[in-house]
Amino acid sequence: MKRTYGLAAFLVVMIASGAIALGQSPNKTGQEDVATTVAILDRIWLDAAHNRDTGTMAWLFADNFVEIHPGGDIVNKQQQIDQIADPQRANLELHPDDIQVRYASLDVAVLTDTTTIRGFSGGVNYDGRQRVIRVFVKQNGRWRAAGAGIARMSPE
Amino acid sequence: MRARKPLLMRHINVGVLVALMSLAPFANAQVKTRPPAAVEEELKKLDHKWLDSERTGDLDYCEKFFADSYVLVLTNGQTYTKAQWLGILRGPERPTLEVLDPADIQVHLFGNVAILTDHTTIKGHDSNGVRMDGEYNVFRVVIKQNGSWRATGVVMNQVASKKLASRNQNMYDSNWKPRRF
Repeated sequence: MKRTYGLAAFLVVMIASGAIALGQSPNKTGQEDVATTVAILDRIWLDAAHNRDTGTMAWLFADNFVEIHPGGDIVNKQQQIDQIADPQRANLELHPDDIQVRYASLDVAVLTDTTTIRGFSGGVNYDGRQRVIRVFVKQNGRWRAAGAGIARMSPE
Repeated sequence: MRARKPLLMRHINVGVLVALMSLAPFANAQVKTRPPAAVEEELKKLDHKWLDSERTGDLDYCEKFFADSYVLVLTNGQTYTKAQWLGILRGPERPTLEVLDPADIQVHLFGNVAILTDHTTIKGHDSNGVRMDGEYNVFRVVIKQNGSWRATGVVMNQVASKKLASRNQNMYDSNWKPRRF
């Protein structure tokens, strides 16, 4: 009988420990998941820009989206989508490197990357590397792009 | 004894309740395009306080106001962490800023993060005496931590049409590199 009680107590402790461990783990795991998710969204964002996929951009960008371009142009969601859809614009090659999640919480993520652009658009040569800060927010359970600040890097 | 409501009335009440409940998700899904006026005003003041602190050298404030995740991207793409940028402001390469004035501040609020865009005028000189006057459009990211707004990111872009032909290299310019790092 004692052995039965002992075994039951052991099982209760094991189950309780497991529950406590499960209760603690989402914080760390959640942060790791945010980093992974926004890094993927970074690539989706640039792929959509490359492919002139305005539907994906409309899906990804928050309504209050804002972006600042090298040279200081500030555009909102619709203006950015219109620029991407512009038939005068060549298909730019866009490639993000060195994605670093600088800040992540349950509903905000801020990352930096180095985006390499190759190509012309509207007669302007965009060849070069750009340093970018991208901001993502979770709205109604879905991560969306809130904005980006882009500065052209000087040649090494 | 309480009089019972007519059956039709009870059905109407239930109908109203169902209609209200069905509208709730739409209300929740709506994204406000303008932040509340009080928050907008608070963040605009914060932008001024931030730049005033950098101009006057109130680095204790900057130390508290900059989040550990703070990253500054200058117009040449040069990137600084909080420690690196505060190191410059505290060190011998600290620029002398006569004017550091944000105008046309636009607030984009997303709950616990806000993106501010502004047009910042800089007048002053670097530690070598080189003038660094210019006009910049700036992207600023602030996050709310423990109830306080803190700066976590800045991207500066010199306004192309307002570049001054006579400018020499300075710390905000395209080819400037610090002596350290």
